[in-house]
Amino acid sequence: MSNPFREDLVSRSRPESCTVVIFGATGDLTHRKLIPALYNLAIDGELPSNVKIVGFARRDKSDEVFREGLKELNKDVSRSGHNDEIWNDFEQTVHYHQSEFQDLDGYKRLADRLDAIDTERGSKGNRLFYIASAPEFFDDILQNLKDAGLNNAAKGAWARVIVEKPFGTDLATAQHLNQVVNNTFEEKDTYRIDHYLGKETAQNIMVLRFANAIFEPLWNSRYIEQIQITCSEHLGMEGGRGGYYDTAGAMRDMVQNHLLQLLSLVAMEPPTDLSADGVRDEKVKVIRSLRQWDTPELVAENVVRAQYTAGHIHGKSVVGYCEEDRVDPESNTEAYVAVRCMVDTWRWSGVPFYVRMGKRLPKKATEISVHFKSAPNVLFNAIPGASDEGNVLVIRIQPDEGISLRMVSKLPGTSLRLEPVKMDFHYSTSFGKGSPEAYERLLLDSMAGDATLFARRDEVEEAWKFVDHIEQAWHAEENQPPMAEFTAGSWGPEEAEDLLAKDGNTWRRL
Amino acid sequence: MTDSENMALGTPVEVANIEKELYKLWEADEARTNASLMNFAVYSEEKGSLAKNSDIVRKITREHACRAILVGIDKQAKEKTVSAWITAHCHLAHGQKSVCCEQIAFHLTGRSTGRFRNTIFANLQSDLPLILWWQGDLSNMFSEGLYRRINRLVIDSSDWKNPIDSFKLMSEAWGDKKSLVIQDLAWTRTYNYRLAVAALYDDPMAAESLPTTQKIKVVANPKHRFSALLMVAWYCDLAGWQPSQDLVDDGDLNGSYRFEKKNGELVDVEVKYDDESMPISKFEVISDSVEICISRNKGDDLLHHLLKCSKHTLDTHGQADSIDGAELVTNQLSRGGKNSLYKRIFPKFLDLV
Repeated sequence: MSNPFREDLVSRSRPESCTVVIFGATGDLTHRKLIPALYNLAIDGELPSNVKIVGFARRDKSDEVFREGLKELNKDVSRSGHNDEIWNDFEQTVHYHQSEFQDLDGYKRLADRLDAIDTERGSKGNRLFYIASAPEFFDDILQNLKDAGLNNAAKGAWARVIVEKPFGTDLATAQHLNQVVNNTFEEKDTYRIDHYLGKETAQNIMVLRFANAIFEPLWNSRYIEQIQITCSEHLGMEGGRGGYYDTAGAMRDMVQNHLLQLLSLVAMEPPTDLSADGVRDEKVKVIRSLRQWDTPELVAENVVRAQYTAGHIHGKSVVGYCEEDRVDPESNTEAYVAVRCMVDTWRWSGVPFYVRMGKRLPKKATEISVHFKSAPNVLFNAIPGASDEGNVLVIRIQPDEGISLRMVSKLPGTSLRLEPVKMDFHYSTSFGKGSPEAYERLLLDSMAGDATLFARRDEVEEAWKFVDHIEQAWHAEENQPPMAEFTAGSWGPEEAEDLLAKDGNTWRRL
Repeated sequence: MTDSENMALGTPVEVANIEKELYKLWEADEARTNASLMNFAVYSEEKGSLAKNSDIVRKITREHACRAILVGIDKQAKEKTVSAWITAHCHLAHGQKSVCCEQIAFHLTGRSTGRFRNTIFANLQSDLPLILWWQGDLSNMFSEGLYRRINRLVIDSSDWKNPIDSFKLMSEAWGDKKSLVIQDLAWTRTYNYRLAVAALYDDPMAAESLPTTQKIKVVANPKHRFSALLMVAWYCDLAGWQPSQDLVDDGDLNGSYRFEKKNGELVDVEVKYDDESMPISKFEVISDSVEICISRNKGDDLLHHLLKCSKHTLDTHGQADSIDGAELVTNQLSRGGKNSLYKRIFPKFLDLV
């Protein structure tokens, strides 16, 4: 039965009450992101009233001990602070279920427990399974969910699954994972989470393009010279992250998912509607249209990989990548990657998309810059000494979210001197209220059955197809493209500069 | 104007030199960022309102960057004068950057319908929407020439001394300018109650019980009668009920109303007023199988949500609406929207009034 009182309270799909089962409940993601996100939704009155949360993990602990651990961290990380009274209500909805991921009995007990919860609160049995465990357990969890019958929703209810990245480590493993997921849940009930898509500025890319009439007519190869997508991090392998990172690398960790998702939002055609498949149909076309760098020569020509050597970040000395904690001293894993992508569509013919991601770069920033072609070399541009810099539209994803537009202006004075100036829009300056965390939006969307901001199977597989060619060339026995080096704290290797110089371009200075 | 009021409003300036003086203000400190997403005008006929509103605007600008234009009017004065002040409200945005919003304050005396309108329009930042917060009863100053040019009107019907006249003017404005968005703080005060009702009706048993509703009980503060009636109008409209022909009103301060469901059954609505109550301290729905009660004790900043049905009970807390006018306006500005639901239930609300 529908709820008439939801009308006009929020302008998006309505989340339905459900039980959220989190696999990997004792992990960092659950404590730092998922529970605080659910708690903040509860504070904002956005969470349906009788949502229950069941944490599933191997360690033996009671509901009370589990709640206490969540509470302590929530006090530190919750976006809107911590209110004991609301937390006390909220934690009553949180339960702990101990089981090994491989133990089918544990899932059968879980099924009984979920039924009891549904009976107790008179709900129809909607279930949202969130797989936040280490990837090696994905297969077991999904298979056991199926064997315990938890993938089958009761009549009139739904059962959905949210899968955290990595969605595989290459095309073959991604296909395997997708097959396992889709053996258990239908694709329409599968939500592959990429938290970048939940960020306010990422959502704003489509708004900027399709809600403003002035950009779309210029959004093509006729007016755009090049597009750069940069994700720079000043951190290295602190906190033991070297162990995971050295098995993944910058390409798998960031480019295959987050940065190609951003690229697809920038390059996609206008969707026919704002439905999940309407948007994702257009995004996948972009990924599918990426020119494949499928020989070692093409990889060497269009992709640069690098590791950092010892240097300085924020005035402090830092070690090189191979000296980092838990990193193989002989490691062949890239901590920096720059890719020249070509989107072979009518709209983007000849426009390079440069994508770079690196650790131990001078600062933390993620942004997209759209570089427009220069005005014709007549009139003002023909004046000796005139600036030849074209207009640049920058979409800053994080931090300091916002949009800026660079244009040329006359300097005040009697002589005619032109210099670039910047129009700048900062979210933080214009909107005093902070944005919700990406996970808040994405959790609500999954409860509402809106998969627009989640990756679809074909998007993931097409992205792996593109990345796999490069990875295969890097790890071939012979003719491997070289691993470049750069000093920690610099903006990357010389080779990355050369990559753009071949097209007569340079990286934007952030 | 007292000295302390003058101080609160900033630097006195010649009306003709306002833009020039504002420019000097920004030039004096390069470290500040001037931000503005809207023109936010505040109008009041109450004595001493300018200093009070300057303080309110300072709070609002923490979340809503704007150019603020305060207008205080003394209509009874014989002499026609206008005085102006400028200042900036600055705060650290996310603990990093000093973000400032400029404020221009005007004090007008004497007959000033046209002067008031022109004072606002002459000092707007171009291309940005104009939000006008009209404090107190709508008067003859609220003219067609004004409301035709504003995008959003913020009022608080709870403060009105002559609500019938003000509602009439408001209806006329709506009739003239269909796109005018009106945000009544009496309606804003019900937001978290409405959210709580909606959340409790997410429960399938509660949703199923809706057609069997028998009675609604509301307890409210008499100063916030309109919030209580808006809440009733909202609930009954979304439930699909119509005011019954035999609408009961017992004539005393408390109100009893009767609504008719689609199947012809009647629902009684009882609104009780209590001087000690929060704006709304209870909203209770009783049906055959389910009881829903949202309540707020005096001084609490949380609402208590309770759902009792045969098989289970839900007992939780949620946010309550602020009792501070500045916060209500801040929240209302954050929500934005066309406020179309308010417009839709307005006729039903007027019936109750």
